[in-house]
Amino acid sequence: MTWVHTWFGLVLGFVLMVCFFFGSLSVFDREIDRWAIPETRFDAQPMPSFDKVLLPALQQLEPDEVDYATNMPRLHDPAKGEMTPRTELPVDEYWAYVTHRDPVLAAGVGYGVPLAKNPEDHNHIHKNVTLDPRTGAVLPDDKLKIGSHWFYPMHYSLQLKWKNLGIWIVGLAALMMLAALVTGVIMHRKVFREFFTFRPWKRTQRASLDLHNLTGVVALPFHFFFAFTGLVIFASFYFLPVTSTLLDPLHKQHEIHEAAATGLPHDAAGVPGPMSSVDAMVEEAKRRWAARDMAGEVGFLVMHHVGDANSYVSIYRAGSDRVALVGEGIHFKTSTGEVLSEDPPRTPVSEVNEFLTGLHLQHFEHWFLRWLYVLGGLLGAVCIATGFIFFVEKRKSQHAKSGSNGSRVVDSLAVTTVTGMVMAAVGMLVVNRILPADLLGKADWEKAAFWTVWGLSFVHAYVRSAPVALGLFNPAWREQCWGVVVLSISAVLLNWATTGDHLIKTIFTDTYWPVAGVDLSLMACAMVSGWAALKLVRRERGVGAQSRKIEKQPKTDTSEVAHA
Amino acid sequence: MNKVGGIHYWVINRIMSALLGGYAFTWGFSSLGIAGLAALGVDFHEAETGVLMLAFLVFLGMFLWAFASSSVARVWAVLAGGGVLMTLSAWLIQQSMLS
Repeated sequence: MTWVHTWFGLVLGFVLMVCFFFGSLSVFDREIDRWAIPETRFDAQPMPSFDKVLLPALQQLEPDEVDYATNMPRLHDPAKGEMTPRTELPVDEYWAYVTHRDPVLAAGVGYGVPLAKNPEDHNHIHKNVTLDPRTGAVLPDDKLKIGSHWFYPMHYSLQLKWKNLGIWIVGLAALMMLAALVTGVIMHRKVFREFFTFRPWKRTQRASLDLHNLTGVVALPFHFFFAFTGLVIFASFYFLPVTSTLLDPLHKQHEIHEAAATGLPHDAAGVPGPMSSVDAMVEEAKRRWAARDMAGEVGFLVMHHVGDANSYVSIYRAGSDRVALVGEGIHFKTSTGEVLSEDPPRTPVSEVNEFLTGLHLQHFEHWFLRWLYVLGGLLGAVCIATGFIFFVEKRKSQHAKSGSNGSRVVDSLAVTTVTGMVMAAVGMLVVNRILPADLLGKADWEKAAFWTVWGLSFVHAYVRSAPVALGLFNPAWREQCWGVVVLSISAVLLNWATTGDHLIKTIFTDTYWPVAGVDLSLMACAMVSGWAALKLVRRERGVGAQSRKIEKQPKTDTSEVAHA
Repeated sequence: MNKVGGIHYWVINRIMSALLGGYAFTWGFSSLGIAGLAALGVDFHEAETGVLMLAFLVFLGMFLWAFASSSVARVWAVLAGGGVLMTLSAWLIQQSMLS
């Protein structure tokens, strides 16, 4: 079991560092978006009027060119006729999504594919936009949402999109995390004592193992829960797509039964139909929720079979005061505005699933709990990082004697996925502030900056790691800590310089917590890194003196480390 | 001992049995679980949701057992063999439900 914990923990640990760190940042991903795109620094709004604001905005849109070029050939059946030009695709679906965390509104159109290969499937070419809910203006798409469209997808896909390879790697890492937690507990049966054992004054090998056990055990349920629910969220779509492959026929049979039971038309009628007031439907939905003692706002709205006689609108309640993301859907007939059906209360199994996934995805409004999530995620990152440090500390003297490069490589990779990763994230924010707001392709420059900083940090870490092969410390840890300090403080100063939003303003005079929160976190990051760098200097000096003493008195100390 | 890049052949065999065998077993468990429950009258979507939540715990258990077991051959037989048997059973159940 120790072997499994050590080797699977080491190899997949590098992936898990990315998941935990960017997962922690993702708790506040929309707030990071606000920091990166200053034009969106306003307050969250409820869903605006569909009739007056959303519909006119959505009607102006056209199918996305990239989506059309990629998917139209896949969905269209050439034997049935000519491929419909992009601008002539019929509108099939409108949708809009609002969350209390985001001032801007996500909306989009699904365009139908005439003469499709499988007319039974949901054949859609999409156009997704970000709207300003106060005016319906479309916000330009080339401004990268660094939080929700970079850090957040990074933590579940590593931005490796080819055949969803990144998602599979993260899935494997998540399963290995569960295995590492279980084997970790098996290895340390005195689990309770480990809560209270941390001896930072001892040498690095002992101190790092203490901290590794402490952070692993203190947040054990949290770590287990997040790895497990991460797998559950993607289960039916990616990891175990049983119902869309082997059991697809049963699945389709069930869908038809379900459509018949709810009375919601699965297919379009092929006959045009009018569109009555959607705002009136929203009012009715809110009235019904209030009557059920759960008054709330609209979270998600979808209009199916747009323009058809069978068209219906589904309106879901926002989940900001509960764990489930959205729920209590009410469905209206578009042509008349009458209620077709209301979603029944969830069954126990669905309730459990919704609860588990909802806790992971964290869309509820509870600030204290959200910060606890960040703390838990960072504890997980510390657990993995101290694992790396312990691995190197335990082996570097014997590797030094045998001439092996192993410790050196692992140590360089550890520096890269700890200080290097932080520098890449903060460096991206710095570049975001330095580059002009209307630069064409700014998103690509920001992404390039992220990867470049991370790559350079690996090069730096490896080049400086020669002492590790001699059983000593890698100075790159200390140097990259200083790098984090410089970048973090620069980011805060650049925010002030380029937007005028400094901390006195965002906390006191013109309070805006999303931006204040990011700036304060950057300052905290700078302080922690600076303190760490100073500590490392002191420890390096101490070890330098000790290693000169040790050379005169050879000593083996196996009593403290009774692990295989 | 045969080595591939410094790792012994039997280590690779053990890891493969845990990962690939484990996945095959989990796939079989999920298919048989969902099809079986559906055949017993449980709502299809409910069966899918419930079984998939259990599936990862099953995978975890099988993965750890693969390393704890004293015989790799037994691991392959149970995980891969069991996986194939359960998948086949699920398919047969589906066939009988559709006709």
